[in-house]
Parts: sequence; C-alpha cells; structure tokens
Amino acid sequence: MSSYRCVFLMGVEQALEYRVSSFPIIIQTAMWNYLYGHSDAAAIFGYQQGEILLYTLLATLVSQLVSTGFEWEMNSDIKMGGLNKYLIRPVGYTGYQFFRFLGQKVPRVMVIVPVMAAIIGLAFWQGMPVSAGRVLAFLVSLGLALLLNFSIFYCVGLLGFWLTDVDKLFGTISVVLTVASGGVFPLDIFGGMVEILVNLLPFGYTAQFPVNIINGRFGWARIGAGIAFQIGWIFFFACLGNVMWRRGLKRYAAVGG
Amino acid sequence: MITVEHLRKEFTYYKKMTGIKGSLHNIFHRESLTKEAVRDISFSVEKGEMIGFLGPNGAGKTTTLKMLAGILYPTGGKIEVDGFIPWERRNEFKRRISIVMGQKNQLWWDLPASDSFYLNKCIFGVDDGSYRDIIVELSELLEVKELLNVQVRRLSLGERMKMEILAALIHRPDILFLDEPTIGLDILSQKKIREFLKIYNAQWKTTVIVTSHYMADIEALCDRAVIINQGRLVYDGKLGEVNQLLGKRKLLSVKTSCPVDMEGWRAFGMVREVSAAGAVLEVPQEKVQEILAAILSGLQVEDFTVTEIPIEEGIARFYQKEAAEI
Repeated sequence: MSSYRCVFLMGVEQALEYRVSSFPIIIQTAMWNYLYGHSDAAAIFGYQQGEILLYTLLATLVSQLVSTGFEWEMNSDIKMGGLNKYLIRPVGYTGYQFFRFLGQKVPRVMVIVPVMAAIIGLAFWQGMPVSAGRVLAFLVSLGLALLLNFSIFYCVGLLGFWLTDVDKLFGTISVVLTVASGGVFPLDIFGGMVEILVNLLPFGYTAQFPVNIINGRFGWARIGAGIAFQIGWIFFFACLGNVMWRRGLKRYAAVGG
Repeated sequence: MITVEHLRKEFTYYKKMTGIKGSLHNIFHRESLTKEAVRDISFSVEKGEMIGFLGPNGAGKTTTLKMLAGILYPTGGKIEVDGFIPWERRNEFKRRISIVMGQKNQLWWDLPASDSFYLNKCIFGVDDGSYRDIIVELSELLEVKELLNVQVRRLSLGERMKMEILAALIHRPDILFLDEPTIGLDILSQKKIREFLKIYNAQWKTTVIVTSHYMADIEALCDRAVIINQGRLVYDGKLGEVNQLLGKRKLLSVKTSCPVDMEGWRAFGMVREVSAAGAVLEVPQEKVQEILAAILSGLQVEDFTVTEIPIEEGIARFYQKEAAEI
C-alpha cells in the first residue's frame, strides 16, 4: 500500500507543476443568458433560466472533477514500450494509474470544491431544495462518478493494445462522452427515448446524475436506483478492463514494446 | 545464475502496401510475415560476472535482454534466471533484477529524480536506513549529488542516464540488465558511466549483462563478450580475440584543404577511401597518435576524426576468418 500512497503524493506534486484551468463556463453562461434574454417563454426545455444556469455551472464543475487524461499516457506506454518499467517492478499498473489519477485530482478538488460549495449555498439562498441528505447523496454519487469515469477511460486507454492510431479517436471519444454525460447541457431536454437511453447508459452517471441530485430534480427513489446503476457500471468496466489488460498484455509481450 | 538454452523469438507482423489503396487492400487481405529476431541462442552466466552483448542494430540483443527480464515471452527455448522463469513475472523475481534502457526513461519527467527514487524505495520496500545509504553512496560515485532535486526534464542526457542507473539500483538487484546505457552520450559521460559500472560490479558482485554497439563499452567493462548477429550467437568467449579483429584498429578520417593523391596517403597507412577533400585511413590503435602527428605536420589538415571500425564490418571479418580456418 505504501507504494500507492507514494504514487498518489507524486501525482499531487506533479499536478501542482501545471496550474492550468480552463473556463468554458463563461461562454456557456453567456450563451444561455442570450437564449433566455431573446425568448418570451419563462422556461425553455422545461428549465427556468436560473435552473439551467445552475445546471450548467455544476455540470461543468463535475465534468472537470471527474475528467481524465491518463488514457493518452497509457497509449504511449503501450506503443513506446513505457509499460516495460511497470512489468519489471512489483507494482500493479492499474493501481499505479488509479492512485496517480487521484493524486493529480487533489489540486483541482481544492479549487473546485469551494466554488461548488458557494454555488450550492447561493442556490439554497435562492430557494432550491438543498438538504443535508441531498448533499451527502451528492457527495457519494460524485465519488462513484469519479470511479466510473476512471474505469471507463482505463478501458479506452487499453484500446491502445489493438489500435495503431488512436490520437483522433481519443479526442473524439472524450468530446462525445462529455456531451453524453450531460456535462455540457442537460440531456433530459430531449425527453422520450433519449432520456431512457441516458438512464441506461453509463455516461450520464459521470456528470448529469450527481447534478440532478443536488439541484433537486431527482427524488429519493431515483437517487437510490442511480447509485445502484453507478456501482453496476463500475463493476462492469472494472471486469472489462481486467479482461482487456490480460489479453492486451499477451499481445504486447508477443510483439514487443 | 543465468542459463539460456536454444532461445528463439519470432515476431509476426503484417505487410502493408503504401498509400490509401494499400490500406483498403489490407482491410480484406493481410499478408502476415514472420521475422526471426532470435534463433537458437544458448549461453550461461555465472554470479558476479559482467558480460557484454555485442552486435549491430537489429541483431537481437535487446530482444534477448527483454526475454531475460521477463518483458517478452520467447517463442521457444528455455531461460532460467536465479532459479526463476522470467516471463512468469513473479514479484520475488522482480525484486532481484533491474533493467536500464538507454532509450527509455523510467523517471517521472516533471519531478526531481529524488521523487522517483523514493517511489522505487516504496515499491521495493527498501528500509529508510539502506535507502539513505545507497543514495549517498551512489550519487557521490556518479557525481550527481547536487542534481537530485532538479526536475528530470532539466537534466542533460548524461545526467539523466546516471539518474536512471541510480534509480535501477535502489533495491540492490542481484542482476542488472543494461541496454545501450551509453547511447548518444558524449565521451566523458560514457567514460564516467563505464567507470561507475566497473566499480559497482566489483563492490557488490552484481551480475551484469550490458548490450552495446560500441566496442569501447564492452572493452572497458567485460572480460567476456557474446557477439550476436542476425539473431544468432556468433561468438562467446574472451574479449581478447575479438579485440584483435574489432578493437585494435581505428579509422582516421582526415580533411585537407588541398587534394592529396593515393600515393600521398599510402605513406601514412592503409587507405580505405580517398577523394579530393580528404581520405579515410585504417591504422593500428597504438599508432594513431604517431600517424596523426605525421599527417598534421605534413599536410594542410582542416579537420580529422578518429572512430572505431563499425561493428558490422568487424563481424563480417569474423566470418571471413572462420571460413578461412575451415
């Protein structure tokens, strides 16, 4: 365990070397303000202006919190033989990537959490149904969302064993999944089939689901079901990743790094 | 310590025709090709021995080393390293070996090397006391004490290589594999690293296998050389004989400001190439200085370099000699 603690701390340290933050939030806020400003209806797609702003802000923050980047590194490890250094040391590659991912999250968490708390506090003051129970459920779902997104992108990274050129693919996957997770706008505005699909697929559980807990859109029954879905999907991707890793490694060891 | 018997490794790959047409063709029909990287290699290494794998690029040196370290599965044959079968990759085995690859880095790029050392300490479960001792001892020997807290990406290639070696030795492995540890380094750094390895091997009785395509590396470090060419073991034995063929002669390239004819060059040594701009001479190593002095005083020299005879050529000569003996 002490080696993973060490990887975690080095991840924190490494992330501190790069203090970049992007704020697509400003653009989105401006866009929604414009749309509501030029529309006569009080609610568009079933969302009040305040609600959509709250959703956009929170969803963007959650997306940033769970976002990954290690899939690129995994791919280059696989392609350039960087994997060798893990194979010859008594350390697990998955554990290594996971704790490093967590470590690199810490500085971001320290920025995002106060901002998020301020937004939620403001929403509460404006009359949103925020309760201690909801905050707790939100935090649990947030932790699970982080795990889920890690396991999804771990599998994406492992695709490097089979695909020769993944550069464009990874970019596309990342954009598509951000949208499919509801990280840009709420997907329930489409209603019907899309909403059912979003509820069944794993992606919405990485962003839209936690946000819908805190903004009060979901009742307790849906929260419980959603958390069960999160756990189920994490289990699914963990198993998939395990199989992919073993098969991929056999392939890697056969062709060389 | 290490036994290798009839080791073989084949790689399968697909032929791809160039261009879009080729790519489309490949979707439906792929021609698979097999490359034999290692064919029937056998040798053994005693504890504490330091042996050199010598051979041109693509000879199969690195492939053999990777199989010894457990990174690759062999296609056929047997390997036993310290009682373990490498590709089972047991943790007990991993604690006993270490591998340094000249063209790959194991250190975290954005952090100081000392962080990566500490990570290795945690991974291998080295206790605090011996960790401190080894850092102090090795960083002094390698002359990198002042650089331990500098971001790895700010280090020069030579400094980085020293750090890589240090990182690989934190858990005091019984066996150390070095793949082209001096590649791309300047002469001084090469020398420093060779000296270090020599001292380390003598002091700790670590078994070392080093690959290189520089004769000088092997010459400085090993009594025994294993020459590999096109996946086959060509020679295994004392360095002395190989030296006669590879090491004791040098190539002297000289550029002159006014042309010198063939006869003019012949006065200095065996001429291998001659042009209006200069010539390449092959001379015995011990006479390099003498001949160079004569050339410098006799001709208008613009530039000169002294290099080793390329290993490919040495091996070709080796074959010729064997053929002549039969």
